[in-house]
Amino acid sequence: MNRFLVPFLLAVLSVGLEPGRAAAYIGPGAGFAVGGSFLVMFAAVISAFAMFLSWPIRFLWRLFFRKRPPKRPQFKRVVVLGLDGLDHGLTVKLLAEGKLPNLAKLQTQGCFRALGSTLPPISPVAWSTFQTGVNPGKHNIFDFLIPDEKTYQPKLSSVEVRPPRRALTLGKYRFPLGKPDVRLLRKSKPFWSVLSDYGIFNCVLRVPITFPAEKLHGVQLSAMCVPDLRGSQGTFSLFTTRKRKEGAKTGGDVQVVERKGNIIRGELIGPDHPLRKDRGPLKVSFTVTVKEKDLAELAIDGARYELRNGQYTPWVSVCFRTFPRVKVRGVCKFMLLATEPEFELYATPVNIDPENPALPIGYPAVYPVYLANRQGSYATLGLAEDTWGLNEHVLEDEHFRQQCLDHDREREEMFFDALENVPRGLCVCVFDGSDRMQHVFWRYHDAQHPARPAEAPTEHANAIEALYTRMDALVGRTMAKCAGTDTLLMVLSDHGFTTFRRGVDLNRWLEENGYLVVDDARRGEDYLAGVDWSKTRAFAIGLTGIFLNLKGKFAQGIVDPEIEAEKLRAEIAEKLATLVDPANGTHAFRRIYQAQKAYRGPYTDQAPDLIVGYESGYRVSWDAAVGRTSTAVFHDNMKAWSGDHCVDPSVVPGILFCNHAIHGENPRLLDRAPTVLGVFGVPAPDYMDGRVLAVEAK
Amino acid sequence: MNVLTSIVVALNTLANALGWLLFPIGLLPGWLSATLVAIFTGIAMLVMFKYTSNQRAIKRVRRDIRANVLAVKLFKDSAWVGLKAHGRVFLGAFRLLLLAIVPILVMTIPMVLLLAQLGAWYQAAPLPVGEETVVTVKLNGEPNTPMPALELAPSDAIEDLSGPVRVTSQREVCWNIRAPQPGYHRLTFQIDGQIVEKEIAVGSSEMRVSPIRPAWNWSDALLYPREKPFERESVVKSIEIAYPERDSWTSGTDYWVIYWFIVSLGAGFCLRGVLKVNL
Repeated sequence: MNRFLVPFLLAVLSVGLEPGRAAAYIGPGAGFAVGGSFLVMFAAVISAFAMFLSWPIRFLWRLFFRKRPPKRPQFKRVVVLGLDGLDHGLTVKLLAEGKLPNLAKLQTQGCFRALGSTLPPISPVAWSTFQTGVNPGKHNIFDFLIPDEKTYQPKLSSVEVRPPRRALTLGKYRFPLGKPDVRLLRKSKPFWSVLSDYGIFNCVLRVPITFPAEKLHGVQLSAMCVPDLRGSQGTFSLFTTRKRKEGAKTGGDVQVVERKGNIIRGELIGPDHPLRKDRGPLKVSFTVTVKEKDLAELAIDGARYELRNGQYTPWVSVCFRTFPRVKVRGVCKFMLLATEPEFELYATPVNIDPENPALPIGYPAVYPVYLANRQGSYATLGLAEDTWGLNEHVLEDEHFRQQCLDHDREREEMFFDALENVPRGLCVCVFDGSDRMQHVFWRYHDAQHPARPAEAPTEHANAIEALYTRMDALVGRTMAKCAGTDTLLMVLSDHGFTTFRRGVDLNRWLEENGYLVVDDARRGEDYLAGVDWSKTRAFAIGLTGIFLNLKGKFAQGIVDPEIEAEKLRAEIAEKLATLVDPANGTHAFRRIYQAQKAYRGPYTDQAPDLIVGYESGYRVSWDAAVGRTSTAVFHDNMKAWSGDHCVDPSVVPGILFCNHAIHGENPRLLDRAPTVLGVFGVPAPDYMDGRVLAVEAK
Repeated sequence: MNVLTSIVVALNTLANALGWLLFPIGLLPGWLSATLVAIFTGIAMLVMFKYTSNQRAIKRVRRDIRANVLAVKLFKDSAWVGLKAHGRVFLGAFRLLLLAIVPILVMTIPMVLLLAQLGAWYQAAPLPVGEETVVTVKLNGEPNTPMPALELAPSDAIEDLSGPVRVTSQREVCWNIRAPQPGYHRLTFQIDGQIVEKEIAVGSSEMRVSPIRPAWNWSDALLYPREKPFERESVVKSIEIAYPERDSWTSGTDYWVIYWFIVSLGAGFCLRGVLKVNL
C-alpha cells in the first residue's frame, strides 16, 4: 500500500509545489479549502486586529462618557435563574426531606425565602412585574387574554401584530409596502433597560413578555407570547388515517391522510400566504414511507428523517415558499405515534426558525441566529411545550415529558453559554418547562385529583418530585459555573403551584345571577359568541378576570361607569365571596379583588373590574376561560392540565434563593427589579413600586 | 518513480480516450469554451466534494465558526470573550482545512488529468500555415559524447528549411521547419535504424496541441498527456516543437489556468447553495 501511497502523496505535493500553471492543478478542491478555511483565518486575523485596536478606544469612551452609577456595584455579575412555578410549600417539604441538596447549599450560603407573587399570580403578569418593578396598573398586563373593546373577542394582552398599512395589489397578489407592526403592549421599562442606560451589559433569556424584543445594551431572546408560524400560541398537527368524528374538536390541526401501500402523503400547514389576497395557508408536502411496524422514513423539503415510534425527530427545517425568492422558514419536530392499525404522525407547532426568524424574537436580530449556530435549532415558540397535544390525548405523558426535557436542555445550553460570555453585568434566564410539567403532572401528585387514574403510572407517579430534583441539579450546575466569580446568584419563581380539581364557570354563575344573558342555543360557542350584550352587565374571559360591560369602554356597554359600576362591582364581589361548591361544601374563592383598589397606575382602567382569588383546588373552568357558557357552575377538571396557579396569590407564593442573604420583610417579585438595580449601584427609578432590599455584602 | 510514470501513462490513456468530450472547445470561441469548461468543472468538483467530504462535520464546524464570529460582535464588551471567540474561529478554520484534505486528495487525480487535457487546447496555439518553427530532439546519454545519426524524414506536410543543427553539449538536434498544409501531421525521425514520431498541429483554428512528446518522467508525462512518453531505454529523450503562444486573458497561454481557477471556484461557491454542499 505504502509503495503506492507515498509516490502518490509525493506527486500531489510536487504538483502542488511546482511553480506556474501547475500551482493551480490542485484545482477548485483546494480553492474550496482555501475559501473555506484560509479566508476564515484571514478574516479572523483582521477582526482580531480591529478588536484589539478599537478596544482601548471603546474602553476610554465608556470610562469618560458612560453614565456612571452613583454607587459602586456590590457584585460584578448578577445571575437570575427563573424556575417558573416552583412552589414554596413543596420546596420546603423536599428540602426537609433532603432531596434538594443544591438548593439547600444555596440556602446555607445565603437565604431561602417565600416570594410574594402578583395579583393574579400568573406568568405574564408576574414576569412583567418582575422585569419592571411595577404593579400591573403600570405595566398593563393583567392576564393572558383581554377582550377587544369593539368585538369582545379575546386577544393577547401582551402583543399586537398589525399588518402593513399600505399594499400594492397586482391581480391575485397583494404586496405589502412595509413591515408588519409588532407591538409589545407591556408598558413601563424593564430594569435591564435602566441598567443599559448605565452601560451595564445584559443577557436576557426567555423571560416571558419580552416579545417583540426591545433594544438594550446586551442580548435578549424573547419567550412567552412569541407565536408559532401560523400566528397562534401553538397549533400542533396530527396526520392520521383514522376517520375524524363529526364535530370532534382538538386544540390542533387534524388531517386525515390516505395510506397507499406503505406510502402516506400529507401537507404541513404553515402561515397564511402573506401575498395572496385570499390568504390561504402555505403548505409543505411530505411523504412518509412505513418500513416496519415502529419504523418509517419522513421525506420533507429535500431531507429525510428516520421516524421511530414514540421518538421525536431532531428539529426539522421547513420552508414555506410564497413567491420566487420569498420564503418563510420554520422548524418543528415530528413523532410517529402508530403505523397500524391506523397511521398517526404528530408534528409540534411550527416554530419560527431561529436561524431565519420571520419575526423579531431577539435583540439584536442576530442573537437568535448566533444561538442557533452555537447549539443547533431550538424552540422559539412562547409556550413551547405542547400542553394542548396532551390535553387532547394526542400525546402521552411520556411524549410531553420528553418535550419538556428537550426544551430544558436547549435552554440550559444557551444559559450556560451566556454565563461564559457575560463575565460582568446581568444574566437572566427563565426555565418555564417546570411550570408546564406541574400543570400536567399534578394529577399524579394529588391523590384526590379527579383526573388521576386509579393507579398512577409508576414512571410518572413521582414526576413532580423528579422535576424539583432536576431543577435542583440545574441549580447545582449553575452554582458550579458561577464558582470562583464575583457573582450574586438568585434562583426564583414567579409563583407557586397548587391542585386544580374543580373548574368554576364564572359566566354560568353570572348568568344564574342575572348579570349575563346568553342565547341558550349558542352557549357552547367560543369567545362569548352567544352573549346578548344589550342585556349583559358583566362577563368573564381569561383566567381570573370579570369585566363589567361598561359604557364608553365596550362597544355595546350598558353599565354606566359613574353611577352603576362601583355598586355593581361590590355587589358581584360580595355574592361571589359566598359561593360554595355543592360537592364538598367549601368556598371556591379566598378573596375577590376590585382592580380600582388593588392596582394603581395609568392602565388600571384596562384591568378586569374584578380579579377572582380562587381557593386551592379551584380555577376558572375551561369553558369560561374561552368565553363559553356551560349549564353548571362547578365542573370536575378531567384534563391532564391538573395543577394550576391562577388562584389567590396567598395560596401560591414563589421561592427566592440567593447565595447572599437578602434582608427585608416579605420579599415580593415586585422588589426584584429595584433590588438588582441597587446591587449594581443604580438608583431605582421613582415609578417603581418595589423596594430595594439589602443584599448582604461579600 | 518508474511505477508512478507507468501509472500516469495508464491514466493518460484513459484521459485521452475521454478527451473527445472536450471537442466543443474546437468549435467555440476561446473565451466561451474556457468559461463553460470552468463552470462545468466547478460544478463537477462541487459534487465530488459533497460526496467525498464529511458534510455533517463541515456544516457543524461552519456553524461553530459563524457562532464565534457573531460572538465577537455580540459580546464586544468583554475583550476576553472576543479573544476566546477569535481563538475558536482559528481552530474552526484549521478543522475545516483538515476536513478538506480527503476531498482534495480524491479530486486531485481527475483534476490533474483534466487540466492536462485542457492544457493541450489552451497552453499553445497551433503552428500557423506557412510559419516557421524549431523542432528540438533531445537524446539520452552523456553530454559531449558522440551522438547517433538522426534524420527528419521528408514529408509533403513539412518543409525542412535548415538543420539538423547539433548541440553536442546538450545532446540536442534542432531543425527549422515550415508547415504549408493545415491539419494534424506527423514528424518522422530515423535514428540508428529506429523510427520515432511526433505530432504537429498546423492551422489557424482552435486545435489540440502537444508541444512536447515527453521523456519517461512522471511529471512531464502528466503535463503532456497527448503523446506516449519515450521509454527510458530509448535513444530519444523527448521531442519538442516551439508553438506560438495564445494571446488571451481567458484562454491564452498561462492565463487560462488562472481564469479557469477563478471561474470554477466562483461557480462552485455560487452554486453550493443550489447543490446543498457545505464547503
